[in-house]
Amino acid sequence: MPKDIIVGVLALQGAFYEHFKLLNQAAAEVVLSNNRKWNFIEVRTTQELERCDALIIPGGESTAVSLVAARSNLLEPLRDFVKVRRKPTWGTCAGLILLAEAANRTKQGGQDLIGGLDVRVNRNYFGRQTESFEAPLVLPFLTPREDGVKNEPFNGIFIRAPVVEKLLPVIQGEQLEEAASDENVIAPAKEAEGDRAKDQVLQPVEVMATLPGRTRTLKEKVAAMGLKDDVGDIVAVKQGNVFGTSFHPELTEDARIHVWWLEQVKDMLGCEDGDE
Amino acid sequence: MAINNDGPSSTSTAANGTASHLPPTTSTNPPPTTTSTSSQPPSFTIKAGLAQMLKGGVIMDVVNATQARIAEESGACAVMALERVPADIRAQGGVARMSDPSMILEIMSAVTIPVMAKARIGHFVECQILEAIGVDYIDESEVLTPADMLHHVEKGGFRTPFVCGCRNLGEALRRIEEGACMIRTKGEAGTGDVVEAVRHMRTVTGEINRAKGMGEEELRVYAKELNAPFHLLKQTAELGRLPVVNFAAGGVATPADAALMMQLGCDGVFVGSGIFKSGDAVKRAKAIVQAVTHFRDPKVLAEVSSGIGEAMVGLNVGKMGEGEKLAGRGW
Repeated sequence: MPKDIIVGVLALQGAFYEHFKLLNQAAAEVVLSNNRKWNFIEVRTTQELERCDALIIPGGESTAVSLVAARSNLLEPLRDFVKVRRKPTWGTCAGLILLAEAANRTKQGGQDLIGGLDVRVNRNYFGRQTESFEAPLVLPFLTPREDGVKNEPFNGIFIRAPVVEKLLPVIQGEQLEEAASDENVIAPAKEAEGDRAKDQVLQPVEVMATLPGRTRTLKEKVAAMGLKDDVGDIVAVKQGNVFGTSFHPELTEDARIHVWWLEQVKDMLGCEDGDE
Repeated sequence: MAINNDGPSSTSTAANGTASHLPPTTSTNPPPTTTSTSSQPPSFTIKAGLAQMLKGGVIMDVVNATQARIAEESGACAVMALERVPADIRAQGGVARMSDPSMILEIMSAVTIPVMAKARIGHFVECQILEAIGVDYIDESEVLTPADMLHHVEKGGFRTPFVCGCRNLGEALRRIEEGACMIRTKGEAGTGDVVEAVRHMRTVTGEINRAKGMGEEELRVYAKELNAPFHLLKQTAELGRLPVVNFAAGGVATPADAALMMQLGCDGVFVGSGIFKSGDAVKRAKAIVQAVTHFRDPKVLAEVSSGIGEAMVGLNVGKMGEGEKLAGRGW
């Protein structure tokens, strides 16, 4: 009996039902071999997380999610999932914050991070709710359409959204240089287990999407980051098994990113247990 | 078995793409790096979207920065800034108004989670002020003394989204028609008695269930009966739930109360006087947050309900006169 691929959505707080709707749409398009099926589950406990092959950390309030995770004894198992076993994980908005190795503008006293992405995320970079916005995003990584027509831009929904403020050096262990600043919090180090997982750690951070027109605070840091002046604010990144978006695909009716990510999950798991 | 009818298999997301008829929305995207300089209000998706991010969370009433920090550390997904919690408004009487903006700003600078604030029913200038200082959500609330006995605020034109109270489906849909992007069942604020919150949630759910079985002709009649806009009633019947996020409010005092409301199908919980009028606010706040996440897990609920000090003393709603109830405010 071929095993289902179980994708969990962390359901501690936030917009998790919205992800299920798009995952179900996307599952119809991403066909698995050997009669395997997609199975999507809510994750609130270690036991539920243990069943998962891949995980989505949804939008919500990152401080609330982080505190509830800690009190539900899920923080370490999550780090184990993302950083030790290096299973496919995608974070949207609050999820991106939690998956960053470093973050700033967190609450007084900081907050716990899971880590996995060698980036520094600026929480609520785009401001309060009255500054929330929508913007068309060009996403070159989306699967090209079969009819050859250019992909429509994706409607990026940014709600009190964070941004990837800095790409950090890809290293094993903690981002100690980041910790030197009082403003930043960092994720604790976890050693990857197994060759495949170890490979993921040293993957480069890929910029997957930017907002056209670099804005505000990032402008002066462009040169220091060694990026071109016209690249724009970084709103989606990928490093090995970890993917993060600062916007909310789950608030649209557009399942293209979910389709792409399930393809990624399928590929990543394929090299692990393709013979099953 | 939970009564919550929303779930991964039968999910019907709130508000998504279903609200194009709601006034007034923008059909074009604002410029990518828009700020509050834009004169057009953000789309319904953006305004309702923040409420979607608050789901599965607890929004706590706070009267100063210290309480706001306690709420944030306990895992609240947002705070409601107000001068007096409902229990004190009841006890002290007098006219209850919008809070001093400087006090709200102090709370906004103390925490990084969203900050909501209350305006009086119909008092659109209080709403303009709250929008100007940049609160994340405005609650046009029956807990404050109404400023208009006939009209509610036209909420669609504001950049800041609104949450409003309801006792039944008709009231919820009238508020959504006016532009509310989030609903809370009213309950009876400041009592610590959950009975009215349950009544209002059961009423809304019962009315939605009735509407779900109706054809178009019947829905037209039912819309008149409920005094609700037909198009919103039809949308609600199709979705099988309110077209926006719906939190419970008014009387939640214990972790069990919070989980009860979640199992009855609400998306999250407002706790007003229940936390800071209890024996140990820190413990109780954390416990209610855990209860809302693990609302279907009686073992966790037993654990978090243990040794958290005394609940607020409370007022028995059954012994109150109709005139003393706040829920009757709103039209």
